[in-house]
Amino acid sequence: MKVVYIFATSRHTVSYVLGKMILPQLEENRHGVDVVGMFFFEDNNYVLMKGNPTGERLHKVAKKTGMLLMGCDQCCYERDIADKLLDGVPIGCFPDLYKALSGNMPDQVITL
Amino acid sequence: MDACEGACCGNKPRRTVSDLFDRGYKRNRLPPFAIEGAALHGENDLSARFSLGLKNGMIESVRFHASTCITLIAYCELLTELAAGKYLRDAVRISEEELAAVLSDVPAMKRDRAPLALNAFRAALAAASRFETGEAA
Repeated sequence: MKVVYIFATSRHTVSYVLGKMILPQLEENRHGVDVVGMFFFEDNNYVLMKGNPTGERLHKVAKKTGMLLMGCDQCCYERDIADKLLDGVPIGCFPDLYKALSGNMPDQVITL
Repeated sequence: MDACEGACCGNKPRRTVSDLFDRGYKRNRLPPFAIEGAALHGENDLSARFSLGLKNGMIESVRFHASTCITLIAYCELLTELAAGKYLRDAVRISEEELAAVLSDVPAMKRDRAPLALNAFRAALAAASRFETGEAA
């Protein structure tokens, strides 16, 4: 099964659920599904900044598996980080997300 | 556009994508002026159309209707702010490079919005020139 994660809430979503659960499982190749994309809203976009330890690990997995990483464009501009993201990580809105996923559509979209 | 003089943002509006979008989003919902340029369409189903309010050959105010893309609206709003108070002949000199210099943090993949906004703005300038010379009648 293919899934996309949308990180929409700002609690322990990135530091805990992504950083300590999903990401280690992806690195160990035992997450259980194919993650074809991740989309980040609000403060969750900080994980996509160059130098962020979790982001750098995520970027490595994405390059290996072809997983899409995308930040919300409005969220990134608002935080002045649109030009400070990991190399090749795009920003966009829903039309960009759907277009980017159109060649590898998920079976489930999971909002965290 | 008038500067906000509240304590929230000081006297000078910032020209960042985010702040321009906030101002442009409101302007985008205003009815157009009588002098309208052609609606132009770009990649990703985006479009933009400008209208001008003239006074004595000078651009008094600019409005636009653009697709709700933050980068496109920011470029459109920047154009309206740069053009206000200029004569048509001066406004036509606003360049893509000028837009890029102000909004230097726009990622490369989003910079195609600049020519779309600029060409739509220039279409409005052309319509205004025709209006001024009586060709539009």
